Amino acid sequence: MHQDPEQAVSTIKPALLSQVMKGEHQAFSLLYDLSGTLLYSLALKILGNREEAADLLQEIYLEIRKKSARYDVGRGTPIAWLITLTRNRAVDRLRTGNVRAKRRPADLPNGSTTAQTTDQPSGSFHARADQELRRLILAAAAGLPAAQREAVEMAYYAGLSYADISSRLNQPPETVKTRIKLAMTKLREALQKDEERNTRS
Amino acid sequence: MTHGELEDAIPLYAIGALERSERQVLDAHLLSGCPSCHSALREFQAVAAALPFGLDIVAPPRLLKASIMAAKVSAVGHDTMGHTSDLSRLGPGKWMKHVSQPDSRSTIAWMNGVPRWIVGSAVAAAVAGSVAMAWIARDSHMTDDSVALTQWKAQAASAASQSAELQRQLEEREQSLLRAREELHRSLADAAELKDQLIQREAELDVLKTQLDQHEKRRAHVPEDELAVLLRIPTIKAAVLAGTEAAGDASGIFLYDPRTRKAWLYTRNLPACSPGTEYRLWMLSENPISVGAFHIGPGETSHLFVQSVPDFPGAKAFSVSLEPVGGGRQPAGAPYLRSYL
Repeated sequence: MHQDPEQAVSTIKPALLSQVMKGEHQAFSLLYDLSGTLLYSLALKILGNREEAADLLQEIYLEIRKKSARYDVGRGTPIAWLITLTRNRAVDRLRTGNVRAKRRPADLPNGSTTAQTTDQPSGSFHARADQELRRLILAAAAGLPAAQREAVEMAYYAGLSYADISSRLNQPPETVKTRIKLAMTKLREALQKDEERNTRS
Repeated sequence: MTHGELEDAIPLYAIGALERSERQVLDAHLLSGCPSCHSALREFQAVAAALPFGLDIVAPPRLLKASIMAAKVSAVGHDTMGHTSDLSRLGPGKWMKHVSQPDSRSTIAWMNGVPRWIVGSAVAAAVAGSVAMAWIARDSHMTDDSVALTQWKAQAASAASQSAELQRQLEEREQSLLRAREELHRSLADAAELKDQLIQREAELDVLKTQLDQHEKRRAHVPEDELAVLLRIPTIKAAVLAGTEAAGDASGIFLYDPRTRKAWLYTRNLPACSPGTEYRLWMLSENPISVGAFHIGPGETSHLFVQSVPDFPGAKAFSVSLEPVGGGRQPAGAPYLRSYL
């Protein structure tokens, strides 16, 4: 099973996970080829440590092989499920303090940094759909006020509740909640507009 | 929390920013099946899942994939040896399980202190030429239990898929129910408006009935008006009829217009005609000539109009008698009115 150059991580089909669940080796290999780079980038963003990120990915892919039956098509796309799984596990590690090295500083995407770090030439994430989604998210994030972007970053990538963020920023909890809500709403509108444009075209 | 507060909390829920107690409250609300909150959650989940696409992309280590493949083989071997891998904690749980249980990280205990992917890479290198054989060997030596487990997983996947489909159908039906409810409200509003219009039409109908009654009353007065007009014609000739012994209170007037040869007879207080009888006006000369017949019911007056009266100048008198309907050429019944010229 060879990877189609236009096969995107953002459009992984539920059927692929079904094949993985059935033990199809090539399907599992393709799933890794499609999603590995994105999930590794996410894990690295949260954990701030490459070894730790690689370790987490190994753990997760083993679970995917055995637990993919728990993927529920009614609750999101396959990549959304994979991202949530990776994000939650990484945050778990952060909360338990079970991270080997000190996290390196990592900023939220703000539209100014799009460089791709290349441990090796990546075989995925070059599909047009993925690149379009990336451009869309970067543009939308760049359009957010810095305080809103910061609140979303601390919640999503640092696993902090709005009360934790409130304490760290010395801001009222309601202010933090409002910032997150506004930011998420703007991002949602950006995604919806893009979806409407795609539907019309 | 009010429903508005729950809705406001959904964006925070989607990126795991709620406090545990608030998340539990929202979980309970979502379990109740609120369609609007489920819809909003799907949208914000899509936002959360899109966020990593904006990250700086970092490719994983080159040997990680081989390590995972090799580790997978090892893990399967581990399980078949009866070791506990504690995989229950590894499942994603609920889709939005933002706060997981503390990580016991005991999946591969012997790897402690050494990055597992590095060890895995070493294993991968060692078995690089035999991975495929290992897969085949694994398959060929799969126990009945593992086959059963695979089948059970497939069934569970099928059940999960069916559950998702049922959930989707349920949401569609909820939406359909909402639309039907809105349609019902619109229909009820339309019915209320039609009822108002019906009441208005009934009121208009009452007015029209009143006007019609007034019009009928005016029409009832027409004979009198007509009689007054006739009496003002200079050339009109009139003959008064008086009641006979058969109808002492009866009276009548006969009018004749020579220019048009038209005649009118008005009577009052004639007894009502018995069944099968009618009154007939006779012009009496040498031989009685029937001018016309008319009927009087209980409480009625009569009004006879004749287009053309034959040979009126020769008439000596007029009489009205009660005759069988369609009676003969000669008076057979008793006279009720009589006049003399």
